[in-house]
Amino acid sequence: MPIETIQRTVRRYGAILYVYYRTSLQTEMEYRADFFGRLLASFLDLLTTIGALAITFSYTDTLQGWSFSQAMVLLAVYYLMDGLIEVFIGQNMRQIAAQVRDGTFDFVLMKPANSQFTASLRMLNISRAARIIVGIGLTVHTVFSLSVEIGPVTAVRFAVALAAGMSIVYSIWLFLVTLTFWFVRVDNIEQIVWQAFEAGRYPVEIFPRHLRGFLTYVIPIAFIITVPAQALVGRLGPGSVLTAVMIGSALFALASAFWRVGIRNYTGASA
Amino acid sequence: MIRYWYRVYRANLRVAWALMLQYRFSTLIWALWGFVGPLISLAVWSAATRSRGSDVVRGSQVYSAGDFAAYFLVYMIFSHFTMSWDAFEFAYRVRTGSLSPQLLRPMHPIHADASFNIGFKVLTTLVLLPAWILLFVLLHPQLPSTALDILIAVPTLLLAGLVRYIWQYTLAAVAFWTVRVDAINQFYYVLDAFLAGRIAPIALMPVWIGAISRFTPFYGMGAFPVEVALGRVAGSDLLSGIAAQIVWLGVGIVVFRFVWNAGVRQYSAVGA
Repeated sequence: MPIETIQRTVRRYGAILYVYYRTSLQTEMEYRADFFGRLLASFLDLLTTIGALAITFSYTDTLQGWSFSQAMVLLAVYYLMDGLIEVFIGQNMRQIAAQVRDGTFDFVLMKPANSQFTASLRMLNISRAARIIVGIGLTVHTVFSLSVEIGPVTAVRFAVALAAGMSIVYSIWLFLVTLTFWFVRVDNIEQIVWQAFEAGRYPVEIFPRHLRGFLTYVIPIAFIITVPAQALVGRLGPGSVLTAVMIGSALFALASAFWRVGIRNYTGASA
Repeated sequence: MIRYWYRVYRANLRVAWALMLQYRFSTLIWALWGFVGPLISLAVWSAATRSRGSDVVRGSQVYSAGDFAAYFLVYMIFSHFTMSWDAFEFAYRVRTGSLSPQLLRPMHPIHADASFNIGFKVLTTLVLLPAWILLFVLLHPQLPSTALDILIAVPTLLLAGLVRYIWQYTLAAVAFWTVRVDAINQFYYVLDAFLAGRIAPIALMPVWIGAISRFTPFYGMGAFPVEVALGRVAGSDLLSGIAAQIVWLGVGIVVFRFVWNAGVRQYSAVGA
């Protein structure tokens, strides 16, 4: 593809995204109080997890090789990841199933833009940014308490690992949502994925062997949360980040291909 | 009188069951949610005993890996019987105004909700029973309790359910004043995690948390029946624990009536 075409495509989709986000923000500004309620709720949720870990660590120095501060890094990444996913794609993914069921998915297909792009990114759910704020706060705190030095290399590696993790979560979710084109009601499957994700705030090593296998190969929590956390504290060669990027890209390509098969199967409700 | 309430609850139960069978898969997923918290806590504490290389000891209380398994499994089952999600439902009803027709009925809405809860529990218990048995086989809990302990635990569990229900419903009624109850519910959830012993046995928590727990309704609606079933409560503590449950139930009913009456007057029925 010539460079010029790529540039044009990027610019076009950038402009579309700008319009989408502007309209979402305008809608959300009407519910400002929600944001502060959620911020408080996120803090309280964090308090519970930290308190629980602190009590456990008062009886042991390490949890299967993880120190308290290291466990905090995991927690920080968990909050960041959860917040990013919820802000950018969560609401969109939940709507796809409903749209397919009642036939309003027609409007997504009619737009003169890539259907996966529109379906996945149209709405920005800024009220969920509370989790990102909590995540950033905790990240900064743990970085200081562990006194790791964050050079530009570490920062880039962390950002790349986070992006790869997001891509993995997105791809798994898209894959599940695509099943809607055949089965219509699958929103409950999503719940199972979230339950597994919930476990990601603790080191994977604490779980029994079978569960660990599930959390490594089926829902790769290790690459979603553990790798970014390790990248942040600099305990990681570039190899694992590279693996995460490869898995993230491969899953993305697979899920996108599956999506294309799926929309061909969509019949519409009103047609 | 008794026959009247029996008929009221039976009619409501039928509606509840019909609804739940319609949405059986969602109902099951809701019930399975209860597994996640206790099993994660169990994993954390088992890892702690493994990392220490010895049992967790605090004063006279000893918790081995098997004791933790027993504690969290019993806690999981007991909280299935005592939990309710009315606080989340209720705010939604106030916001949308769907509470209005319920207020017009010749009895308090709490009865319809309570029977819905009972229906949910009976139905899901049948489904979850095999899963519970499987977990008991897989996780090797050490059950020091005799049949007598479990028998005594039944009334304490019943009281725990009543205390929790009335206090949660009181909290739910706060929605009359503010429909954004996210933060309030989360606050309750934090208190419940520590004071009711959901994340760790009370005996292993800092002393001040244990003290607060015993002077609030939380101990009676969470950890107490579990400890009774596991034979960890001595005779005199058993009696005072039951007495505390009864007192908190009474106080709960009084506070609930007060909050509810004030709230209904405040309610301006959206959409009416």
